Amino acid sequence: MPNEPVGVLVIGAGASGAAFAWSIADTGMSVLCLDQGPWMKQQDYPSNGLDWEARGMGDFSPSPNVRGLAADYPINEEQSEISPLMFNAVGGSTILWAAHFPRLTPRDFRSKSEDGVGEDWPIDYQTLEPYFALNDRMMGVSGLAGDPAYPYHEPPLPPLRFGKTGNTLASGFEKLGWHWWPSDSAILSREYEGRAACINLGPCLSGCAQGAKASTDITYWPVAQRKGVQVRTGCRVREITVGADGMAEGVLYYDPEGQLQEQKAEIVVLACNGIGTPRLLLNSVSKQHPDGLANSSGLVGKNLMFHPYAAITGIFAEPLHGRRGPVGCSFWSHEFYRTDRSRGFVRGYSFEAVRGLGPAQSALSGMIQGLVPWGEDHHRAFDRFYDHTASLLAITEDLAEETNTVTLDPELTDSHGIPAPKVSYRLSENSRKMLAHAVERGKEALMAAGAVETFAQPLFREAGWHLMGTARMGRDPSTSVVNEWGQAHDVKNLFIVDGSVFVTAGAVNPTSTIQANALYVADSIKKNIETLFDPA
Amino acid sequence: MTETRPALNDHDFMKALLNLLIPPSASRELPGAGALGLETAVAAALQDDPSLGPMVEAGALAVREAALAEHPEGLPAMAPEAGTKVVEAQLTAHPFLMMGLLRYLYPAYYQHPQVLEGIGEPPRPPFPEGFDVEATDAELLEKLLARRRT
Repeated sequence: MPNEPVGVLVIGAGASGAAFAWSIADTGMSVLCLDQGPWMKQQDYPSNGLDWEARGMGDFSPSPNVRGLAADYPINEEQSEISPLMFNAVGGSTILWAAHFPRLTPRDFRSKSEDGVGEDWPIDYQTLEPYFALNDRMMGVSGLAGDPAYPYHEPPLPPLRFGKTGNTLASGFEKLGWHWWPSDSAILSREYEGRAACINLGPCLSGCAQGAKASTDITYWPVAQRKGVQVRTGCRVREITVGADGMAEGVLYYDPEGQLQEQKAEIVVLACNGIGTPRLLLNSVSKQHPDGLANSSGLVGKNLMFHPYAAITGIFAEPLHGRRGPVGCSFWSHEFYRTDRSRGFVRGYSFEAVRGLGPAQSALSGMIQGLVPWGEDHHRAFDRFYDHTASLLAITEDLAEETNTVTLDPELTDSHGIPAPKVSYRLSENSRKMLAHAVERGKEALMAAGAVETFAQPLFREAGWHLMGTARMGRDPSTSVVNEWGQAHDVKNLFIVDGSVFVTAGAVNPTSTIQANALYVADSIKKNIETLFDPA
Repeated sequence: MTETRPALNDHDFMKALLNLLIPPSASRELPGAGALGLETAVAAALQDDPSLGPMVEAGALAVREAALAEHPEGLPAMAPEAGTKVVEAQLTAHPFLMMGLLRYLYPAYYQHPQVLEGIGEPPRPPFPEGFDVEATDAELLEKLLARRRT
């Protein structure tokens, strides 16, 4: 039996799809979301068992290529210096994220005007401000008002406890007189909307068994479903179909039994992340769109941005109890965020203070660094290392380059025979210089905090969480894929709400901004519904 | 004497090998990895790993053969110092042997209740009890806010 047509079809139930669907449901249109993954169960998360670290490297690894679950599609990353990471389920990558929740700063929206690099966004921080605030309330954000790096805003909940690790690291920044501020975190410091305060399990990166960490399956989706939004899981979209008028008609997707289904919709919304979205557009080839849908600019899949990360670690004489508490949510620093050309690069980076590792990951990390050997000396070295480390992550701003791309792999396919994405990404010279600078400054901060020894991973390969730029927004259809409302220039009833639309990456985690933008796009549709499909 | 079983499935050999990688601690509070019955799980994980598994099996086979050449009963019968020398002698030819073994041995070892107690961690999963963490240093925070006010 054919599926009933719907008003709005959202593809992807992650950070942006959930926020968008929740908001657009206000229109009273029928809203359906398709996701290739399942609903997660908190009792299945690794922190319910003693093997939580092993599972965090296995079936809960952030890499789809390592997990290889039914919900995952393979990614050819042989030509990428950074491994793309994601999770495929209702909640998307918010299932496995750290919930570190900074916003892009106002200057991030105008890097061309400020520094002559990248492009300016067609929207600004002020446009998104009400949506940042709304999203903070929906997700449940803890933090401290007054950070001078941002326009004033008040997180709904007080900041999380620093723990000994955060206190130790912050003392180093304070000693140096560098900017630091308690992080905005999408983790509850107090009971909120029926969810309990964080009890400091530690393994945020393999799912929160307690539910104190926000993931959209437990924040947006329950409310969206109460508003009538339907979620269909285990459904992988193959392509977006178009009618003779060039408008999107709907999608073809594989249902959980592997049967090809058609779903028609008046509006199609892509929320599949910066890799999944260009993959789907490029696979949606038709007579009207021979190079892929919404690709008259040729920019679909181009300008891929990650955030190149450096990890700088200090070993301290005192135990730091670092495996306890949210992994990445004590404080951030924007000391080196803005351009200072005397440093030899443009734009900048932020630091995120992170806590220590569990025992197994400590042993593995110590092995990789050559600090924890096997054999007779193992226990002595482990004892010095475990629970005695604290790290800073440097999140550097990646500048968009057309040569960093997501394309369709000519051979590799997923379990349904759909071409897999191929990621080609090379780190720029600017990023390399920035990473090198960050490593030195990070070591300085760690020593100021009392570290007795430091080491660094100058480019953290397994850190491709942030997938941005591959269908960017702009006013000019020849240099962008969607307009300032996320509406495809070429296909008026097709919208994109995930990180693909980012024009610049900033030097902070993007999810807060992705979600605020998704809410803004939904509101723009609501406000302009009468004229939405009129010719420009 | 030549063994024909896969080295990873040779339990006595694997116990001896794991015990060389993580021997008992000097105080004996922490057991050797070979005493915890981890060999089956480590071998199974490696045999499921298409990239590391074959390299580790090849390296382990070489170690077992070299040990048998030194002692008729092989690695399990050798003193730790002698066994370590046999293993080290194979590392140039089998550079992924250690990384592959430790990739799976460390998670298995450091999730064992006896080991967790030995390193001062409670032998339980993080959930449902969770942990306490130290409050944010009020003095530090006050300095920050004072600087913001000026």
